Amino acid sequence: MLRLENISKYFPGVRALQEVSLEINSGEVHALCGENGAGKSTLMNIISGNLRPDRGNIYWKGEPVAIDSVGRAQALGIAIVYQERSLVDSLSVAENIFPVNQPRNSFGLIDTGALFRKTKQLLDELQLDNLAPQTIVGNLPGAQKGMVEIARALARNPSLLILDEPTAALTHRETAVLFRIIRQLKALGVAVIYISHRMAELKQIADVISVLKDGKYQGTFPAHAPAEQIVHMMVGRELELAQYHSHTEQQTRLEVKNLSGKGFQQVSFKIKRGEILGFAGLSGSGRSELARAVFGDTEITGGEIFVDEKKIYFRHPVDSMRVGIAYLPEDRKTEGLFMDRSVAENISSARMQHGMYRRKAVLTEADKLIRAFTIRTPSATNVVSKLSGGNQQKVVIAKWLSLDPDILIVQEPTNGVDVGAKAEIYEILRAMTARGKSILMISSELPELLLLADRIAVMYNGSIKEILHNKEATEDKIAALASGIGVSQN
Amino acid sequence: MPLKERLQDRIFSLGVSIVILCLVLSFVFPSGFPSIANFSQLLLNLSIDTIVAVGMMLLLIAGMFDLSVGSVVAFAGGMAGYLMYYLHVNFMIAIAAGLGGSVLIGFLNGWLVARAGINPMIQTLAMMGVVRGLALMLSGAGIQNFPYSFIYIGQSKLLGLQAPVWYMFAILLLFSFLSRRTVFFRRFYFIGGNEKAARLSGINVEKMKIWGFVISASLAGIAGILLSSRLGAALSTSGAGLELRVITAVILGGASLSGGYGKVWGAFLGVLFMALINNLLILSRVSGYWQQVILGIILIAAVGLDQWMLKRLGK
Repeated sequence: MLRLENISKYFPGVRALQEVSLEINSGEVHALCGENGAGKSTLMNIISGNLRPDRGNIYWKGEPVAIDSVGRAQALGIAIVYQERSLVDSLSVAENIFPVNQPRNSFGLIDTGALFRKTKQLLDELQLDNLAPQTIVGNLPGAQKGMVEIARALARNPSLLILDEPTAALTHRETAVLFRIIRQLKALGVAVIYISHRMAELKQIADVISVLKDGKYQGTFPAHAPAEQIVHMMVGRELELAQYHSHTEQQTRLEVKNLSGKGFQQVSFKIKRGEILGFAGLSGSGRSELARAVFGDTEITGGEIFVDEKKIYFRHPVDSMRVGIAYLPEDRKTEGLFMDRSVAENISSARMQHGMYRRKAVLTEADKLIRAFTIRTPSATNVVSKLSGGNQQKVVIAKWLSLDPDILIVQEPTNGVDVGAKAEIYEILRAMTARGKSILMISSELPELLLLADRIAVMYNGSIKEILHNKEATEDKIAALASGIGVSQN
Repeated sequence: MPLKERLQDRIFSLGVSIVILCLVLSFVFPSGFPSIANFSQLLLNLSIDTIVAVGMMLLLIAGMFDLSVGSVVAFAGGMAGYLMYYLHVNFMIAIAAGLGGSVLIGFLNGWLVARAGINPMIQTLAMMGVVRGLALMLSGAGIQNFPYSFIYIGQSKLLGLQAPVWYMFAILLLFSFLSRRTVFFRRFYFIGGNEKAARLSGINVEKMKIWGFVISASLAGIAGILLSSRLGAALSTSGAGLELRVITAVILGGASLSGGYGKVWGAFLGVLFMALINNLLILSRVSGYWQQVILGIILIAAVGLDQWMLKRLGK
């Protein structure tokens, strides 16, 4: 059906895809696996006409084709369900399913009757019987939106259907329906490309599994190949200088009991003084939501938080800061930094509680921290947006560490940071634990977790699957737990 | 500071433009422009706008704006006038009531924007209509004959300058100091720069938004009291169109609609610049209709030039 030959794609500074060749047959469910950033989405964007490859050929039913626009891909019979929602909330279900290909009457006007009739048919097929075509999409729960998204792709009668993490927003019930539909399509000779992090799911639905890693094709396996083999292919990198050592003390600093909130349920863990508790998991596993809730940024619906064995109520980040918690957000650009303001102002931004604003004092303090954290900037008054990623990250770290927090929550501390700065950040975190501080570290880089964390909690679907000790943790084990396969070997 | 950066500082570029404009005016109209009387009149005319502009500047720094300030000007004067004229209330209490009402309007704006999540544009647009209606009810066709002690507030003179001018400078100095030197006012810059990051840095963004609207409405209330005192009358049409004029001046003065930028003195310079342009047009007997056209063009040119410099010189 579709054959990709030596596809390469470059973005400024990144080789997103290198010489990827792949063959998708009709009547086949072809799963695509790989870590975040492995190039799966880039590849799908090329097939669906959103991006053009820099090199390589695409063959469609044996003929070479150039898929240079979304319209071209649609004309060929390629339909895609994106990972991100792409519905218009203010319009009805029917209008969303038929955005441009509405049924028309003989005057060329939209035939509303036929539109609703066709929509109803599709919805029935997806077992959304009680959903009226006129319903406004914005009012639907997330899982039903996901199904509407799938209905839109099906409305095109595709011969190749691409599903990018389709089940991330679906519940078990909808997932079962989706799988039934996929099997029906398969019987009709439709090819399906299925991207998912959930290994257990792939075993159920896929015929073959192809693995991408760092933009390179690793191989294609039959779906019944052992999961460990595939996970190893996905992760399989050599460990960096693994010089883990522990500063864990006896006393518990932070305790979370049965905490529930949006995106996570019944989560319990303890962090001791001087300990780093790592959190592993896929996007959507509830890690970030948990971290935000512990920092008091989002509401909790149940459970308790104790700091030094005292029960604490957080309603706003200010409350958690008061008991000595600091929070390094996931995305420094949108959540951590004031990009248009100076380094000094950014460093002082967590100390805006009261009193006078002394510019001189702020500058002196900033100069001190710039030296302590070796932030490379011409001066403290320089605008932070002009620094490199690693130095920006160090600004955020300096801002929080200047408060001398007892508990530090960090999310992806070395995201987009070069190797040198990475090592420096590791040193900073380690030095904190040596002084008895506790760290809750969320990271998607497994080597980083193995290097720093004393224990690693693996989250899946909003709860902690298992907490592994550093000694027993391996990348394969973590990746398997995070994908929802229950290999607990202790 | 290198010239390149200086040019991007609106206080500097606007200051230079104003000096040049003054010099040109002095040469072209040696008899009309450079006189104490003209300047005193100029400052008096812009004092009300400037007081309102200071509040608007603070809001814009935090990434918001308030369309209801013009109506609040009429409301505060009307409220005080109504109490004094119809109910013979002591002028101090009347003023307190006018200001209190303004604070309440600001609080409502802020509360509905910050807590109920209504868009500032919609919220203050609606409030603009509501409050204008209240002002009409209070002052109807206009209220006159205020007690002397009330008139005195806006019509007394010191060193050749009318009282509103002194109030204006006092407010400018106070808020300039506060916005540079107090943590409380610095928070507005952080909120306008990145609201999410501000919250995660422990700033109570919602509370600060409410304060922003309260301050803005209070200053509009003060302006309204001063205006009615100076005119000796409370008019329901006072401050009509003021909100857009003030937003124009504040943007000219270096604020950005997306927030994070601006200085209190920029509000004054923006208003002053617009007043000078008006002065120039009046002295050269250009039709009043053209004033609107020219001010519009100047605003577009100023903001356009900024974008251009950002692209060309920014890197």
